[in-house]
Amino acid sequence: MNLLESFISAATSLSGNKMRSVLTMLGIIIGISAVIMITSIGQGLQAAVNGQFSKMGAAGLEVSVKLGEHVTSKDLLTVADAALLETHPNAESVSPMLAMTGRARLQNPSETDSLYYVGCNGSFKDVYGLDMLEGRFLARQDLENNASVIVIDSNLAKRMFGQADPIGLTLHASFSFGNMDFTVVGTYKPTDLGSLFQMPTFAYIPVTTLQKAYGRSYLDSIYVNVKDRSAIERTAVELSKLLSMRHNNDGKYNVANMLKGMDSVNTVLGGVTTFVSLVAAISLFVGGIGVMNIMLVTVTERTHEIGIRKSLGATDGNIRFQFLVEAVILAAMGGLIGIVAGYCGGMALGGAINVQPSVSVTTVAFTVFISSMVGIVFGVYPASKAAKLDPIEALRHE
Amino acid sequence: MAGEALARDRERGEGLGTGAIIEARRLSKTYKVGRHEVKALREVDLSVAPGEFVAVMGASGSGKSTLMNIIGCLDSLTSGNYFLDGEDVSSIAGNRLAAIRNRKIGFVFQSFNLLPKLSAARNVELPMVYAGVPARRRAAAARTALGRVGLTDRGHHKPNELSGGQKQRVAIARALVNRPSILLADEPTGNLDSRSGEEIMGIFQSLHDEGATIVMVTHERDIALHAGRIVTFRDGRIVSDEKVAAPSRAAATGRAPDEFA
Ligand SMILES: Nc1ncnc2c1ncn2[C@@H]1O[C@H](COP(=O)(O)OP(=O)(O)OP(=O)(O)O)[C@@H](O)[C@H]1O
Ligand SMILES: [Mg+2]
Repeated sequence: MNLLESFISAATSLSGNKMRSVLTMLGIIIGISAVIMITSIGQGLQAAVNGQFSKMGAAGLEVSVKLGEHVTSKDLLTVADAALLETHPNAESVSPMLAMTGRARLQNPSETDSLYYVGCNGSFKDVYGLDMLEGRFLARQDLENNASVIVIDSNLAKRMFGQADPIGLTLHASFSFGNMDFTVVGTYKPTDLGSLFQMPTFAYIPVTTLQKAYGRSYLDSIYVNVKDRSAIERTAVELSKLLSMRHNNDGKYNVANMLKGMDSVNTVLGGVTTFVSLVAAISLFVGGIGVMNIMLVTVTERTHEIGIRKSLGATDGNIRFQFLVEAVILAAMGGLIGIVAGYCGGMALGGAINVQPSVSVTTVAFTVFISSMVGIVFGVYPASKAAKLDPIEALRHE
Repeated sequence: MAGEALARDRERGEGLGTGAIIEARRLSKTYKVGRHEVKALREVDLSVAPGEFVAVMGASGSGKSTLMNIIGCLDSLTSGNYFLDGEDVSSIAGNRLAAIRNRKIGFVFQSFNLLPKLSAARNVELPMVYAGVPARRRAAAARTALGRVGLTDRGHHKPNELSGGQKQRVAIARALVNRPSILLADEPTGNLDSRSGEEIMGIFQSLHDEGATIVMVTHERDIALHAGRIVTFRDGRIVSDEKVAAPSRAAATGRAPDEFA
């Protein structure tokens, strides 16, 4: 009796008892769909976070002046400091950063939007992992000429200019210190994370332009991407030393490893996934017991059939296999329905919290494998019970 | 169909030196019911030659079904020996016994024992499924077997869409489909009206004419008289074993004779 034959016979008997089959699968469906729902959201979130961080070059360091220390103006970071850090052998790209909130006029001149104006250089695109959509990012000459150019995200461009090509158009900005006009030179793709964490909209302008307009010579921080990730901690110490030497001070600089942020997000998501998996394991166990229970009932109900099959030459193995296939189909179907239900749930939940849920092929394969295993583990006993029935006693059973 | 299989069986039967296809020696079967023992068979000796048509009679509880089940390798014996086709079956167990049931024995039961969810054709295919016959050959063989019992056009019917006589004919087709050495029938006409019973006897006789070995249990002398030999049981023992001088031929059934050919 081959697999196809057993499969057909199992499918026939299961579909002859649809309600019961579905109810039996319910435990497994619930367990699997819960896992798929949570992990699809988790994976979507993780993918977004990791995607964002991985776009930030190999690894990132943020250099800033330590808060709370007795800081004098000579300790503050400058564009020259950024140039100095660029000389470190492990520095891939370096960008000075000075940011400031302000507003920007929208298409309807009476409306304005809050913007976070980030003064930086051309390297910041790589440091921050921006995807350009149209035009270009900031260039060296922009900084040298203190050019009034700006790079904005494409959503803002739509709100500001409608369907018109934003490149070359003027953005009217207002700051606490006055108004400024910028020429849009590029647009970038807004990140998933930005909308998820309700982050402000960023617009990028040459740091020198902002410094000049604001009348400040210092920076908020300097971003450094390192070449060799494994040496990141050592590089952090060395950068801080370089700055202290130049400013002739001691321990006033903070060099933060931005990858640590990614690690902590991953740790939290990992914890959630583990917890959900545990809950799923329990519900799969309960679902498995449900499968076993119904298979035992089935074997009792079909004792006469087993007797007939044995009288026609079915071996114990044939019978065991037949019932095992039935249990596995029951469990695997539950798993498949669970995957679909969980994915739909994930889409609904993801839509609500603005995350694109993601289900990997591995997850699906693993889920099907696990639910089939549940079918085997909990189907073996009923199937063996069926196989061991005495042919003549089974035949007498009505 | 059965002719060449029978020639083969005859040769093999000679291994035992008797030429018998069924050879029971001092066969006993004792059931334990609680503390009681029920001796269903008491040292039965029975020998059936290839090509014989034997009817088994006897009062209810005399051990007829017990004997059939043991001959059919469905039940084990308590003591004695049973040789099927020269092979000592009492020493065989498990999967080999299943294979013997599958290839050498065709069983027809009083209550038909068809699987209700399967069509007639699928029911007939079952023994071939367990014999590992590929699907296409199975379908063709099932059609042929159903044709033999005059049910060519009923293959797709479920058992509950068939009359009792038709059900029993499907069961006979199923019993024949793997070309068994012996056909065992335990009260095959017990649930049928006399006309359907005659039809079944007609099929049995035409199979017998072609050389099939048949052992059939019946309560009705009319039915038994279709066989060539009648063995009578009482209290687990054979009390008479007589030849039927002139077996009665099954009455015409109103169907064209070639339907059985
Ligand atoms: N599984 C069993 N357990 C206990 N006793 C049994 C069992 N099967 C049969 N018997 C007993 O064995 C004896 C023979 O039974 P068997 O079924 O062979 O009779 P039978 O000749 O076929 O009767 P009938 O004509 O009514 O079918 C009976 O006394 C019966 O009660
Ligand atoms: Mg009986």
